[in-house]
Amino acid sequence: MTDQSHQRIHISAQFSRELEGVRDDVLTMGGTVESQITKALDALLDGNSELAEQVIALDSNVNELERSISDQCMRILALRQPAAGDLRLVLAVIKVTTDLERIGDEAAKMGRQAVLLSEIGVQEKIAAQVRDVAVRSITMVKNALDSFARLEVGDALSVILSDDDTDEAYANAREWLLLFAEENPASLRVAMSYLWILKGLERIGDHAANIAEQVIFLTEGVDVRHLDSQNTRDLLS
Amino acid sequence: MLATTRTAFLQRTRWQRLRSLTMISVSASMVTATLLLTLGLFALLFISAMEWIFWIGEGGSADVASRLRDIALARPGLESSVIGLVPAIVGTVALVMLMTLFVAPLGVATALYLSEYARDTWYTQLIRISITNLAGVPAVIYGVFGLGFFVYGLGGQVDQLFFSDRLPSPTFGTPGLLWAALTLALVNLPVVIVAVTEGLDALPEDLRQASAALGATKNETVFYAVLPAAMPSVFTGLILSTARAAGEVAPLMLVGAVKFAPSLPVMTTAPFIGLEQKFMHLGFQLFDAALFSTVPPGGIGWVATIALTLVILIALLNIVAMSLRSVILRRQAVDSPF
Amino acid sequence: MDQQSKNDIALSIRDLSLSYQGNPSALKSISVDIPRHSVTAIIGASGCGKSSLLRCLNRMNDLIDGVQYSGEVLLEEMNVLSAETNVTALRRRVGMVFQRPNPFPKSVFDNVAYGLKLSGVKSQRHREELVEKALRSAALWDEVQYRLDESALQLSQGQQQRLVIARAIALEPDILLLDEPASSLDPISTLRLEELIYELKQTLTIIIVTHNMQQAARVSDFTAFMNQGHLVEFGPTDTIFTRPSMRETEDYITGRYG
Ligand SMILES: Nc1ncnc2c1ncn2[C@@H]1O[C@H](COP(=O)(O)OP(=O)(O)OP(=O)(O)O)[C@@H](O)[C@H]1O
Ligand SMILES: [Mg+2]
Repeated sequence: MTDQSHQRIHISAQFSRELEGVRDDVLTMGGTVESQITKALDALLDGNSELAEQVIALDSNVNELERSISDQCMRILALRQPAAGDLRLVLAVIKVTTDLERIGDEAAKMGRQAVLLSEIGVQEKIAAQVRDVAVRSITMVKNALDSFARLEVGDALSVILSDDDTDEAYANAREWLLLFAEENPASLRVAMSYLWILKGLERIGDHAANIAEQVIFLTEGVDVRHLDSQNTRDLLS
Repeated sequence: MLATTRTAFLQRTRWQRLRSLTMISVSASMVTATLLLTLGLFALLFISAMEWIFWIGEGGSADVASRLRDIALARPGLESSVIGLVPAIVGTVALVMLMTLFVAPLGVATALYLSEYARDTWYTQLIRISITNLAGVPAVIYGVFGLGFFVYGLGGQVDQLFFSDRLPSPTFGTPGLLWAALTLALVNLPVVIVAVTEGLDALPEDLRQASAALGATKNETVFYAVLPAAMPSVFTGLILSTARAAGEVAPLMLVGAVKFAPSLPVMTTAPFIGLEQKFMHLGFQLFDAALFSTVPPGGIGWVATIALTLVILIALLNIVAMSLRSVILRRQAVDSPF
Repeated sequence: MDQQSKNDIALSIRDLSLSYQGNPSALKSISVDIPRHSVTAIIGASGCGKSSLLRCLNRMNDLIDGVQYSGEVLLEEMNVLSAETNVTALRRRVGMVFQRPNPFPKSVFDNVAYGLKLSGVKSQRHREELVEKALRSAALWDEVQYRLDESALQLSQGQQQRLVIARAIALEPDILLLDEPASSLDPISTLRLEELIYELKQTLTIIIVTHNMQQAARVSDFTAFMNQGHLVEFGPTDTIFTRPSMRETEDYITGRYG
């Protein structure tokens, strides 16, 4: 019902432009973060330390965007006193940027681990495990950002629902990694590094799910945080 | 190009400034002239009056005290034209009071009806316009009407009904104080109605709504909210009519003012007022003195004295009315038109 | 249950329509229940019929020639719109405060005592008590207790507006209608007025028309949004201002083209 409202123009065109500006910045930030994790994964899998350094360097861009977006939100709250859909947009943006910034942090951490691991050389078997989780997490982020850009409740919902699969993939990968460590005690340091990376990927999936929850709050006005998937589905239908 | 428009602009403003300066000086000199004229008039009146009042000597009074007494009281025979200021003052005041008694309720009631109760139709518009026009009708015409309608018409009826024993000598069927007061009330009615109607129309609609919203009926609103708020204009109307009643001469000559009345129209015993009596009036005295006076020296002194007294009396009446007004309005503190 | 919910309703508007001469449908079939001891805000664009609706509730529309209405307004068991209704008694139960403060050009005391005198409070002592009580409830007593004999027109605008409220609540109405009461007040007086509204709702039911969306959001428990004579949406204020269910409402409160 209200999902189209962001395309409608305010009588104060300036206000519309301000809201648009914030949304655009969030999408820019999302794009940056997305390329960060993709690059981090590539750097990791290819043992490319140069790429990994790029990922780390991008983090300051992300932080800068977060600061600028929260400034804009504060100004809109103070000067425009937004209501209804506009209010939900501003609140959602504040939360989404926090999650994006965390994802950026996780990507930077992955980048640092990739630098370390590049000196040792890529362990193909482990990399396969990591790739499985990473692809899921990155897809979740991508889909969550798409659903935010298009205000698609259905897409957002599938992101939330796919988090369970990601968690499961993470649990499997972790078990595999523990077994690997037990069998190859000499590679314990390497295994620890990968465990860190896996944990980060799982967190990235959680953040993507949070972003999807904000998209649902923004479009439908309902809060689906901390609900299990069945309840979420019931609430939306 | 730009420069020419600039100079044109400057020239225009200079011309305009000149024009407004001329306007200001013209109106300032006119105001000054009016003021000087008024002051001069008063000075002339005052000096001639004083000169005459304190004129003692041959054929006149022996000392100042008896001179003042002679002027104040009717002493026919002493100086044939001087018939005393006090009876004329009393007559004038009695007339004004009585007139106010008639004109106030009648004028207020009419105004209330016109602006609070009557619907706004072409008919009420016509009545309003007629009333405004009536204010411009010469007073002497009211005098003729008063003589015909009040004195001969109403007065004659009253005599036949209540005083038939005294006929054929008339009691009310002849000019007298009551008829004079009623006639002057008619003269002033349009003034009062117009003043009060304008006052009522100027009241904000809010006032009536506020009253209605507190559960007041239409009548309660009119009498407890609207009328009190319109009191300033009621007083404005009455003050205007007071001045007019005291100064009017022409209609009074027809309906009751005389050069010499044997007794005052007010008395200290019941019924306190002689409604049917003829009375003396300052305006009439002035008229009479100006035309027929033979009082030395030169007559102008006596005329000036009456004129000065009349002016002072009107001023006093206005002061009384205005202080009454401010006492009543003390709690309202609405912007005063004065 | 039914009895319970009835007790929670101060005013029940059923299918109310109103026409003026020259405006045949100023209100179009409005139905809403106004909850007791609460503040209901009516919002909507200029000319949508907010004041007209308010004026139906105490029959102030009767003062306008050619007004016709249909439907019901139930104040407890009384149908406000019925021809038999004693309008002056009704207006004592449903007080009204207007956009501009409109005290009578009388003393502060006489302003508040005006309605009391009309409703037959004879004893001066009793009147004094009631005037003081009303001025206290209107949070004005401290400011005017030594100025009771002064003209009400000498008070500030904010004080005048509270005086006008005191004048209305002196009659102990069940319902108080406020038609844009803060539109001529400065921000501080406005906040005082809002605080007063909050106090008053403990004892009265308040319906307030306002153009100030933030004010509606701050003072009211329920909000009704009107558009072109229709009641578009009625609901708890926080719902209306965070997630209204109608698109028109959303567009209005977020300031978009309708
Ligand atoms: N006395 C009247 N006679 C004819 N039409 C009227 C009258 N009063 C109001 N109307 C019309 O009825 C409609 C509703 O008016 P109303 O005053 O109730 O609007 P409102 O919502 O209070 O507007 P505002 O916010 O400007 O006060 C408007 O179209 C108006 O022109
Ligand atoms: Mg209105």
